[in-house]
Amino acid sequence: MLRLAAVAAAALVLAGPAAASCAHPRTSLTYLEGQVMCPTCHTTLDQSDSPAAQRIEAFISEKISACWTAQQIEAALVANYGQGILAAPSHRGFDLLAWWLPIAGVLGGALVLGLGVWRWSRQRGAEEPAETVGSGLDEETERRLDDVLARFE
Amino acid sequence: MTRRLKTVAQLVALAGVAGLLALLVWQLGNQPHAPGVGAKAPAFTLRRLEGSGTVSLASYRGKPVVLNFWASWCQPCKAEAAVLERDWTTYRNRGVVFLGVDFHDLASDARRFVSAHSLTFTMLQDGSGTVTSGSYGVSQVPETYVLDRQGRVVAHLAGPITAPAFAGEFRSALAKAAA
Repeated sequence: MLRLAAVAAAALVLAGPAAASCAHPRTSLTYLEGQVMCPTCHTTLDQSDSPAAQRIEAFISEKISACWTAQQIEAALVANYGQGILAAPSHRGFDLLAWWLPIAGVLGGALVLGLGVWRWSRQRGAEEPAETVGSGLDEETERRLDDVLARFE
Repeated sequence: MTRRLKTVAQLVALAGVAGLLALLVWQLGNQPHAPGVGAKAPAFTLRRLEGSGTVSLASYRGKPVVLNFWASWCQPCKAEAAVLERDWTTYRNRGVVFLGVDFHDLASDARRFVSAHSLTFTMLQDGSGTVTSGSYGVSQVPETYVLDRQGRVVAHLAGPITAPAFAGEFRSALAKAAA
């Protein structure tokens, strides 16, 4: 019992300063595993078990313990592996296209669809036949119908 | 007006499909592939793993070059390291240059690997893999190329040089390149 208490106290002493020294909320390995790619298998780290991915995970864990922010860790990985290590493209330069192109595509599609529906509804309105007065039957048919009805009276 | 609009829409759609097809063809035509024996080794400039500055393959023109792609997380690379170092010390007097290219690796891990295996030949870093998998079509390390004095590929060994299938081929290619 005494030994257990001593181990717990030692753990607190060791872990305490590390945990307390962070001036900001710590990022998590789980979060970064979804943001960082495995360079050899081209999936995010959370979907990979390759040796290269394991080494990157170990690096991230080490830096999280050292109170690095997610941005600092990502910057260090980009400096080492290049921009391709990040799952999402950056918000600068040519990479911006990857963010704006889908939005522009959806907006363009909606505009074309809206325009098409508007034109179609207008066309239908113009082609709608004027309301007819009477039965709409030709004279001959009307005459024959009258004859038949007269027979029943 | 409607017909004209329809024609324009059809042309735009066709241009879109043609663009996508062109992209597909371009992508298929630009698949990375390993340079074959006799082919010119693709040129590159990479950062030194230790120290600063860059090294370009062109600066070794006129010398036979052994180009070894490796990574610290690669198990067969560990067994191969000692053999490469031994061959380097044997052939360096004959003017053969050994270049190690560390691929998709953390520079800190790679430096530890170099130190742990006491490797003394020039080490370069290719973290993004642009040269390794892009120009040389390497998908798995280790891989080794032996280049002659003109920068042409004499041998390409897609696996550890310690493997029985490659050991003899590596030695004979090295002797041929150094001749």
